Amino acid sequence: MIVRSVALRHGRHAIASNFLSRRFLASQVDSIEAAAENSIKQLQSLETQLNSGVPIPEPSAEPDLFSRSSTVAEQYQLFKQQQKLTQTLGSDISAHYKPHTLLSNPPSPADVTLELLLAAEAHQGHATSLWNPANARYIHGVRQGIHIISLDVTAAHLRRASKVVQEVSKRGGIVLFVGTRDGQDTAVVRAAQLAKGYHLFERWIPGSITNGQQILGKCATKVMNEKDEVVPGFDEQLYERPVLKPDLVVCVNPMENYVLLHECALNNIPTIGVIDTNADPTWVTYPIPANDDSLRCIQVIAGVLGRAGEAGQKQRLELAEKGQITYRPAQGLVAPGEDDLTTASPEVNQEIREKVFHDTESIVDADELSDKIDADANHEGDGRRIRVTS
Amino acid sequence: MARGELSRSLRQALEALRSFSRPQCHRIARYPPRSFRSSTTRCMSTSVPRRAELVDETPEKFAAAPPIDFAQEDGKGSGNGAGAGKPVGKKTLRTLRVVPASPSYFSAKPTFTDDFINLCALLRKVATLPTVPPSEAPKVAWKTVDQYRIMTNEPVKTQRFHKMIHILRRLNCIHPSLIPDEVVQAMQRYKKPNQPGDIKPNPGVIDELGRAKGVGQRKTSSAVAWVVEGEGEVLVNGKSLAQFFGRLHDRESAVWALKATQRLDKYNVWALTTGGGVTGQAEALTLAVAKALLVHEPALKPALRRAGCITRDPRKVERKKPGHVKARKMPTWVKR
Repeated sequence: MIVRSVALRHGRHAIASNFLSRRFLASQVDSIEAAAENSIKQLQSLETQLNSGVPIPEPSAEPDLFSRSSTVAEQYQLFKQQQKLTQTLGSDISAHYKPHTLLSNPPSPADVTLELLLAAEAHQGHATSLWNPANARYIHGVRQGIHIISLDVTAAHLRRASKVVQEVSKRGGIVLFVGTRDGQDTAVVRAAQLAKGYHLFERWIPGSITNGQQILGKCATKVMNEKDEVVPGFDEQLYERPVLKPDLVVCVNPMENYVLLHECALNNIPTIGVIDTNADPTWVTYPIPANDDSLRCIQVIAGVLGRAGEAGQKQRLELAEKGQITYRPAQGLVAPGEDDLTTASPEVNQEIREKVFHDTESIVDADELSDKIDADANHEGDGRRIRVTS
Repeated sequence: MARGELSRSLRQALEALRSFSRPQCHRIARYPPRSFRSSTTRCMSTSVPRRAELVDETPEKFAAAPPIDFAQEDGKGSGNGAGAGKPVGKKTLRTLRVVPASPSYFSAKPTFTDDFINLCALLRKVATLPTVPPSEAPKVAWKTVDQYRIMTNEPVKTQRFHKMIHILRRLNCIHPSLIPDEVVQAMQRYKKPNQPGDIKPNPGVIDELGRAKGVGQRKTSSAVAWVVEGEGEVLVNGKSLAQFFGRLHDRESAVWALKATQRLDKYNVWALTTGGGVTGQAEALTLAVAKALLVHEPALKPALRRAGCITRDPRKVERKKPGHVKARKMPTWVKR
């Protein structure tokens, strides 16, 4: 095989121009030229070798790297070692879009910029003939036959929604993230994971709120304290308790979840939704005008709301460490194993009074304090007894 | 002049078309022009519309819940836990809240949804490990959808369960020498308690005198045969082959395993048969001799299978049924 003298004819200029056409720092130019010289020399040596017919010694890294005698496990281990050595080689392309980072490390509300929303195609609405005029305030204009959503409006609404999610999470509310289209499941699950909330990526079963006992009656619940520790011993009581409803619903595809949003409206549950130009903004309490057809946009929005929930949960736990409880405790729970308690002993009464006085919860006035003492003394444990109110 | 005539005739033709009443035009005219509002309330999502959405074209109007008043929430909620409702006794009870046990609570199938999510996450984690082709992967009997429903007590859809099994099959294809422990532990939950290959039959033994035993049955006959290396002598119930089986076909079928593999002169057979008739006993012997021969030479299995000596013939005399004269024969049909 005779290799034409490509290097001689074109080499120097071609390689040099290829390198120098990219933008590099001035300090790197000298090294690039040196590299170009080296590669030309290598090419020339290869040419002479091939033309002379001398067998080129093959570079042998490991003698038994791909031989049949070594097992698959050994080969895989060698492959991983090689990979570790070589993966840092090559050019370093920094600050480029890596799709998986939107799920593994979503942006927080403070990281929301118009550039981020634009890159996520949040501005792309539907064809102008399909619009809902109620969305006129969110639309910037028309381009190529589609409505363009104002990204500053989107950013403002997204910040508002993230504040809502944060505050609800801080108050220990149940936040449900819903996204039923193909490809939205990972975003929704990740958001729920961050916000310690709940997710739904399959079809919403109609009646899960309005007819909850039938549909969700068999699903397990648990009792937690302010530090998110599970408190055991309430299984029997939980069996008789009513089914739980979400305190806030975040829906990333409201067009397909009309029934869910209707049920939330009937039960006075506030909702957040990604409203496209053809969607009805009155279906949700806190609309976020954005493109609901773009998975990247949904991942950004769900990620931001998940991060907001995470911040809220962190705040709640910090307050819990100090002894402050930000939520309304469950009513009607009885201490497990104390159903047969009839009258409290005086020592127990004294204990209760001490606990009441050392309570860090805010007590407004003396009346409340006396009520509290009476309550603790009279109604310890047994909820079945008829109370005599003064 | 010709042009004028042409244009006139064209005009006439157009007028004729206009006057000609076409039913399609009337049909279109009958429907009023679609109002702007009604077209926008129709669901125009890009995902495949389901039947319910297409039928219900104008959904009922509703207004979403009002925005949350956090100041009011603060006043009601934190601090004094004992509100207007039932007071709680102890301090710890005042800190408790009831929450769903699983993040998939609102799917109505929390266990299945959690299982599915965990398996997907596991697959994403180990996706780059080397795999074997599915035919070479270890044979696993996965739980059926009914067994899974009983296990979880949830209304799991069959299609979604099969998607989960698809993921499990892919996890099973990871090379056995590299499969991580957590994958093995995760897969165990979805396997049937009894797997094929759990029960291994004891391999046949050749005793100190060089004999291998084989047992066979056919109809109500059963036979036991001891096969040992020798010259080709056969004894059945103490008699020679020709003495015991009067029929040539039966004589051949008794030692068919040896005949098909051309080993008639290499082994001696000593057999005992009971039950049934002559041919049944001969066929039972076929199976018995084949099994004993397999102990000596296991590599002959494909050859014996092709010869038809391996499968136990399951046919037996069918029972008589009420209303029939025999198993199938019915009494003569009478018109009246």
